[in-house]
Amino acid sequence: MIAAAWFNFNFNDFCYAFMSILLEGIPFMLLGTILSGLIDQFLPARFMAKILPKNPVAAIFLSGALGMIFPMCECGIVPVIRRLISKGLPVSCAMAYMLAVPIVNPIVAVSTYMAFRGQGAMEMMTLRLIVGYIVAVLAAFVINRIPIRHVLRPELLAQIQKKPTNNSEIAVDALGMPKSPTLGKGSMITRLGGALGVAVNDFLDVCFYFVIGASVAAVFNTGVNQDFLAPLANNPPLATVSLMGLAAILSLCSTSDAFIAATLINFPAVAKLAFLTFGPMMDLKLIFIYSAAFKKRFVLGLAIGLFVVIAIICMRLSFLQL
Amino acid sequence: MTAIISRVLTSAALLLWGTVLTWFYFSGKVQSYLHPTFQIYTAISGILLVLMASIVLIFGFPECCNEENCVHTHGKLTAGRIFALFILVVPLFVAATVSPDQFGGTTVTNRGVIDNIAQLPGAKKTQLAQMAYTEPPLPGEDTTSKQAQTPPEAGDAYLQKNGKGQIVLQTIDLLYAADEPSMRKDFGGKEIEIIGQYMPAKVKNPTGKNFNLIRLYVMCCAADARPVAVTIEAPKAEKLTEMSWVKVTGKVTFQHQGDRFTPIVVANSVTPCDAPEDKFLY
Repeated sequence: MIAAAWFNFNFNDFCYAFMSILLEGIPFMLLGTILSGLIDQFLPARFMAKILPKNPVAAIFLSGALGMIFPMCECGIVPVIRRLISKGLPVSCAMAYMLAVPIVNPIVAVSTYMAFRGQGAMEMMTLRLIVGYIVAVLAAFVINRIPIRHVLRPELLAQIQKKPTNNSEIAVDALGMPKSPTLGKGSMITRLGGALGVAVNDFLDVCFYFVIGASVAAVFNTGVNQDFLAPLANNPPLATVSLMGLAAILSLCSTSDAFIAATLINFPAVAKLAFLTFGPMMDLKLIFIYSAAFKKRFVLGLAIGLFVVIAIICMRLSFLQL
Repeated sequence: MTAIISRVLTSAALLLWGTVLTWFYFSGKVQSYLHPTFQIYTAISGILLVLMASIVLIFGFPECCNEENCVHTHGKLTAGRIFALFILVVPLFVAATVSPDQFGGTTVTNRGVIDNIAQLPGAKKTQLAQMAYTEPPLPGEDTTSKQAQTPPEAGDAYLQKNGKGQIVLQTIDLLYAADEPSMRKDFGGKEIEIIGQYMPAKVKNPTGKNFNLIRLYVMCCAADARPVAVTIEAPKAEKLTEMSWVKVTGKVTFQHQGDRFTPIVVANSVTPCDAPEDKFLY
């Protein structure tokens, strides 16, 4: 038996993993920032508020399921969310959409089903979607009770609270819903130029956090000896917690993480479910990306809250004997 | 003046990103990083970023977010902006320059090798899948030439062979074969040629002549790669560089270890070779 260190770092391997994370994630991030630019210039203010139910509870429930119609990956969602918040989407609804969309979408449903063929694919896919949805909605309800000044970064908060100059209503309502129209004005060319300006600036803003997140993820992705996690597999609570930690370290894309989870054959199914639910909502890379829109303290609190809630839910599900 | 500098620096950052992405795609380097499904997005993003960089450089920052509500820094050259540009440019430049386009032994050791197909759900059979399903001939199709080349064993018709008649396989094929009694029978004792990356065997190596032949199995990108390994019993102890590419010819055996069979190739020859065009298994 060869005793290996739990951490062995190689700079070349780090560079290789870092580049592969960037090459995979940047296209989706760019798509998100371009969508953000188009939303800014072409989506009327309060449009989102108009299409969502007036009842905040119903609005949160619906927002959590929007990914089935508007799927996005976790890398590209933050610029879109930032823009939708500035366009009148309540912060709680934005949070429900942001946390649920990397899981509750048709692409991830299919990839989960494919990855778990022969290992209770239908049960795992269904549970992943349900638990992901429930956790996202629960988080949104909690956030709905937190003043948005504790949630949003000051510049984003200032943007949505800014008193409008064109005789419209008071800036923010009880749900943190801004009432100031920010729709682009002028010719189509001017508005496309504006959309490009937003896209460029959003790309640079969010990419900064993505680079930091990708480098942290690449360090752990290549440096941590995964054999050290194996002995934890026989203890369900430890297995659940350790796989959630692994999900945070590996920072995988939600469309592919099921294929990794399915290979962890020694771990109980509930631990894999926790891996598949926690990873797309919060990982090392996302902690930094979320910081582009939310306060660091809030992001940290969200990470801890999601970790605890998902761990409890998944451990309670162990009676299902998947 | 600072606005112009900021404009140039921002444009340069976007240009670097765009150039790296397009360079990786058009030079073919991207094949060493991403699953084929994702490769085209790299090219599209790279071209878009180069276009964005050109527009910013020529026309400056377009007005965005409506002036009153805008939170972006635009042309302001603040310390934070300079730091952000540094983070955006330097790590990308260093990684793109230094990256060896493949993992070394450290990461493979950290991830652990997969030598049992049950640890790799979702994997597609390569040639063996073709063996399992025989495509019926189309109406009117001339099957004479196909039949003339067909050896007696039905499955062999769908196996690629080299000039010496050795079956050309991938590591993953042998893991599948180990799990299937009929395939073990088909492959056991057959001469094969197999290409992979060399990794010294740190366990189950009493003679010191064994090594692991690795291929990386990828779902999305190299960051999720799983090393799929077959044990090679070499004629002599090899002194090769970790993760260097080698071609092995030899005979397949399946040894009963614990509750399963493990494929072991008893090698006739082990020779260094170039990396295949597609380094990954998908």
